[in-house]
Amino acid sequence: MIYQFEAIGTLWSIESVSVLPHDLKDKIQNRITEFDVVYSRFREDSLVAKLRQPGVYTFPNDVKKLLNFYEALYQVTDGAVTPLIGETLEHAGYDSEYSLQPKSGIATPPAWRDAMTWNDVNVEVKQPIVLDVGAAGKGYLVDIVAEVLKNHTITDFVIDASGDIYHYGQGVERVGLENPYDEGKVVGVAKLKNKSLCASSSNRRKWGDGDDWHHIVNAKTGKPVQDVVATWAVADSTMVADGLATALFFVPFHALADWDFEGVRLLASGTIEKTDNFVGELFI
Amino acid sequence: MENDAKQPNKVLIGIIIVVVLAAVTAGIVFFTREQDAGAPASDTANTNTPSNTSGSSNESTGSYKDGSYQANGNYQTPGGSEKVTVKVTLAKGIIESVELERDPTTREAEEYQGKFESGYKAQVVGKNIDEVRLSRVAGSSLTSGGFNQALESIKEEARA
Repeated sequence: MIYQFEAIGTLWSIESVSVLPHDLKDKIQNRITEFDVVYSRFREDSLVAKLRQPGVYTFPNDVKKLLNFYEALYQVTDGAVTPLIGETLEHAGYDSEYSLQPKSGIATPPAWRDAMTWNDVNVEVKQPIVLDVGAAGKGYLVDIVAEVLKNHTITDFVIDASGDIYHYGQGVERVGLENPYDEGKVVGVAKLKNKSLCASSSNRRKWGDGDDWHHIVNAKTGKPVQDVVATWAVADSTMVADGLATALFFVPFHALADWDFEGVRLLASGTIEKTDNFVGELFI
Repeated sequence: MENDAKQPNKVLIGIIIVVVLAAVTAGIVFFTREQDAGAPASDTANTNTPSNTSGSSNESTGSYKDGSYQANGNYQTPGGSEKVTVKVTLAKGIIESVELERDPTTREAEEYQGKFESGYKAQVVGKNIDEVRLSRVAGSSLTSGGFNQALESIKEEARA
């Protein structure tokens, strides 16, 4: 049975052997809304929207894991990946109205420590910031939904939040790695069993004169990344797979040695590379 | 899950949703109003007894009361018939959410043909989806409908 719905701006699909009970579906929807109301920069009523004013804000418990992971990504990418990228994206036009009109003179985000510190669940904002958790937030939410399913004793399922995939239980998922230039083709297949995979590509959301803007922006330069066009990462959690898939736009595989993961990168030059431990095949 | 079926076709889902929503607004589809025991009264409380039962048609167009509606139907694919259950939630006359349940016991034979984008790279082509046994395909996050619409309207304005 496949349960499909739209949430956080994208299509979700949960496959399971049996139909999910009503109360479980409600729990899932409520948990997703709960997350969105905290972390979405596209909502005026969200908690992160408040961070546009300096102050101290108390977040729910789930913030710790997310910020710890973001801090690690920030370190290994030397600041290219940062949750403070929100304002740059807004100025580029990727705002809550999707105005898609870049301003001139778009600033790079402040250094993390200059703008924000946190202790446990309390986040202190020293200067107005626009927090964007796009790099790992959806993956994290997929993990959270997976826990809701497991707590309801659903033993075999696949969650697919449009490019963020979580497999649990029986069988093996054969996941085609979509050619970003041609949706009818796959450049390889990843074999997934009790792991998560995230796919990321820069060419799907493009805007501006000559399509020179897209949503994967290097925080150090304030510009969209050019030399890598698609990445895939496989890890034990979807949060990590999502964050590493983003990081792979900015750093090579060996920079991410702190994590246990498999990866594939498609470069703008047309070459494709993978980690030695990649479980699957590439069609080259 | 081990699954020989082709990737649940995203275009197919989009089409299902559009078809169902069109049918809802035209009042054609037979809906049963979901009875939630113990559900709190909403501030758009519907005091009329819903006249829909499965098998009877709703003659009025565009006057569905707020609440959740569920429809069971069959969707014809080239590969055969597929059962779909759709749940639509209306609030203040607007469709607030749509959820689907699909039983893919039949294979989808229809292939999705993507468009070639400019900048197509010849070096890494890969294989056609139909040549490879897949559970699903992972590309970039499906561009959200809102983003696409925004882009389209901007392009329209630019053309004018």
